Amino acid sequence: MKSLNILIISILSIALFAACKKEDAATPASETGQMILQFDNKVGSEELNLTESGGTVYPYKTASGQTFNITKMGYYISKIKLETEDGTVHEDEVNVSANAAEVKGYYHVLESNSSSQLITLKNIPAGKYTKVTFTIGVDEDGVQEGAAGGVLDPAEGAWFWNWNAGYIGFAIEGASPNSSQKEVVGEGWKIHEKSFALHVGGWKDVAPASGQTQKFVNNVKTLTLALDSPITVSEKLQPKAHIVVDALKVLDGVNIDFATSYAIHAPALGKPLAEQLSNAFILHHVHQ
Amino acid sequence: MPLNYKLYQAYPTLCWVCIFVLLVGCQKQREAPDNTYVFVKPANFPEPTYTFKNNPVTKEGFLLGRRLFFDPLLSKDGSVSCNNCHIQSTAFADAQQHPLSIGVENRVGIRNAPALANLAFMPEFFWDGGVTHLDFVPINAIEAAFEMDETIENVVKKLNESTVYPALFKKAFGVDKVTSPYMLQALSQFMTMMVSANSRYDKYQRGEGEQLSDDEQAGLTLFQAKCGSCHTGALFTDFSYRNNGISTTFSDEGRARISEATEDIGKFRVPSLRNVALTAPYMHNAKFRTLEEVLKHYAEGVQPSATLDASLQRNGRLGIALTSEEQRKIIVFLRTLTDNDFRSDERFQNRNEE
Repeated sequence: MKSLNILIISILSIALFAACKKEDAATPASETGQMILQFDNKVGSEELNLTESGGTVYPYKTASGQTFNITKMGYYISKIKLETEDGTVHEDEVNVSANAAEVKGYYHVLESNSSSQLITLKNIPAGKYTKVTFTIGVDEDGVQEGAAGGVLDPAEGAWFWNWNAGYIGFAIEGASPNSSQKEVVGEGWKIHEKSFALHVGGWKDVAPASGQTQKFVNNVKTLTLALDSPITVSEKLQPKAHIVVDALKVLDGVNIDFATSYAIHAPALGKPLAEQLSNAFILHHVHQ
Repeated sequence: MPLNYKLYQAYPTLCWVCIFVLLVGCQKQREAPDNTYVFVKPANFPEPTYTFKNNPVTKEGFLLGRRLFFDPLLSKDGSVSCNNCHIQSTAFADAQQHPLSIGVENRVGIRNAPALANLAFMPEFFWDGGVTHLDFVPINAIEAAFEMDETIENVVKKLNESTVYPALFKKAFGVDKVTSPYMLQALSQFMTMMVSANSRYDKYQRGEGEQLSDDEQAGLTLFQAKCGSCHTGALFTDFSYRNNGISTTFSDEGRARISEATEDIGKFRVPSLRNVALTAPYMHNAKFRTLEEVLKHYAEGVQPSATLDASLQRNGRLGIALTSEEQRKIIVFLRTLTDNDFRSDERFQNRNEE
């Protein structure tokens, strides 16, 4: 029995050591660094300046000549990936949790909140990166984990659709003298006359059955932008990629007429706008 | 070979020791299976769809969810709780005097409030399936103007200002501040535990000594042949959306509101039939007051429209061929789906123990 015990203990010890060693090997202490993605909202060549809701000054103009202002603009950015010249991909950590501190990889960029426009990516392996990929909106993975905190918490300002559960991925609100919106007054809220609200949402990706038309619309878009020059990430550097988001590219891209398109609140109506997003997000330059 | 011999002798002893330890371990677990606050999948049910990995049920979370379920604080003027439209005696469907739900200031809703049972197994919620995760279901009831007409933000504010709730959230989730995801998770813990699987039919099906009468047995056979293509499986639904011919036009477009496809106009969720004898009136618009009316509809009342379900227009006739005797037997069978244990389960009653 004694020798058997020794044998068993030896085997167990070896097994334990082997297991420990594997874990050690999985976490190599290699150099990492940070990088910032800066989102800069514009209207054509002009900086976006928000107008107070209800304002009747219209500083911007569409290609078709309709003047307008913007009272709110923003979007969710998620699932950010960086790619090196040799094709190695670093993925920003993504996690959905009820605990706001554990929500990772989802960013709600708002024109009204300048700090939200700077996304700091951490723990990036040192290297030369040439491409950045990100998702505009919150896809199925983000919705189907259930109630979430932080930027996904509807009580903390998350853009959530109740009736068709999911997040609004991109939105522009404002006013135009051409808008047909009538004034609506509720308890503690008001929809101003001549205002517009363009909400792009919808994440369900269901292939149509044979002989059937496409149902649902998935307006979550993933873009890859090439950096104009490779960015070096290291412990000592803090490079920045400057991304311009041009509202006019979206509005002119669909040749918007505020007389008819002033209240977009469903996936199918938002689809043409979603399809312009790849033109609206432009990598402007990088700072090494 | 003394060593080998020793090993040869030792193995059986060692095995017996192992088996004994295992048996003792098993027996200990069998002796005290306190599942009061544990989600247990009934043997005849499919795998749950709920994301328990993000929100495992605990006693504290369940009790907090129950308190929220019965608390009119969730509504704008403190007059409406979840329980207003979801009553245990009717398997958490609405009172039968309320064909459409009644919200704050006696505002009348747009649809019949569905029964709440076995929600952990449902892939989608509401008559149109617009919500795809149980956690998000209460937001609709809280914020709809004709239900609670409150904002989720203000509910969280009221909970934080309450003298009881912050401590209960701390106990359940270890948080110092109430936030909406934890409130929704607590409600989900309460709702996922609402498993109804103890009807006479279940006991018969699981071989627990229950017998069905000849009429019930005949009703079951008829039900499977005539209704089973949609009301299938342990939950008596295939989770699809269908137009069952209750009208020719649809002011409430149903599933088309979500899918935005004209081919879905007038389609609504195939409801589970568990406890169906308790959940009158029937259909999204509460068109039928009794099961007799429902069966009569399928036999002779189905109305044509562009999206009418194919199963209700076979061989050049509308509806399902059912004699009045067959209808009667099917209803006799449907009554075996009533789960009286569920209706009287004290865990789902409004008692605020700490």
